[in-house]
Amino acid sequence: MSALVDNEQVKHTLRRRKLAAERHRHPINQAHHDDRTFGERIADRVAEGIGSWTFLIIQSALITIWISINVFGLFVAHWDPYPFILLNLMLSVQAAYAAPVLMLAGVRQATKDRLTLEHAAKEAEKGEEAIQRILHEIKRNTSLTLEILQELEG
Amino acid sequence: MTAPGEETKRAGGYAHPVNQVHVDEATFGERLADRVATGIGSWRFLIIQSFLIALWVALNIIGIIGRWDPYPFILLNLCFSLQAAYTGPVLLVANNRSAQLDRLRLEHTAEVEDAAEKMTIQVLEEIQRNTEATVKILERIKDTRSASR
Repeated sequence: MSALVDNEQVKHTLRRRKLAAERHRHPINQAHHDDRTFGERIADRVAEGIGSWTFLIIQSALITIWISINVFGLFVAHWDPYPFILLNLMLSVQAAYAAPVLMLAGVRQATKDRLTLEHAAKEAEKGEEAIQRILHEIKRNTSLTLEILQELEG
Repeated sequence: MTAPGEETKRAGGYAHPVNQVHVDEATFGERLADRVATGIGSWRFLIIQSFLIALWVALNIIGIIGRWDPYPFILLNLCFSLQAAYTGPVLLVANNRSAQLDRLRLEHTAEVEDAAEKMTIQVLEEIQRNTEATVKILERIKDTRSASR
């Protein structure tokens, strides 16, 4: 592997594509990421949005503000006093959406895995054909060499 | 030589370029995300959580130190919602991380496959060149033989 490709070069490319999920080289990545449909694009965006530190930090800030206001009653009335039943509902609503989004992402990943395996099978077939051709060529070479040997001995 | 088990459990100093870029060169946020996902997805977490719930419910029924959350445990419910509100997104973070790994692995495969295909073509061409040379040697020997007869 290391003899075939320059690892540093490859890592440079990988670093670039780690940040931007576009203009891929592998056909499955191209089909799955570069040529995704509108719905798939939205699914990816939502999964990336919810599954990010930004989301977690904003959520924490909002929960803290909600609880603080309802405990200390600054500026506005206590719309959701202890034990914060409305906050509980909000969090449940969030969880009710996060789980299906997760499933969506999971289903999409499963589809990709399936396509990847199909592609691998095709590649393996191609590789086998190439090896067959090489073997055939070497056999031809060997029989010629043997013929030369016979000529020289006979 | 490290044992296979050590290879898989070790997290760092990897040899494969994809692992190097994805794990060894992970940013602070990515590293933290991996840690949190590993932490929540562990028996230790499940056991500690179960223990705390049992303790919470028991204390509020027995009431030795005052019932701060009496039956039906509305505050405990809020705690659960909080936990779910965080585990969901963390799960998605972990999922995004593994999707990224998958993407990078395929990109690496593409690079290697391209190089391997070029190599195969070179090997085949070299053998064909060899065969042509061998054919010429054979012809030359046959010519010399027939001329000397």
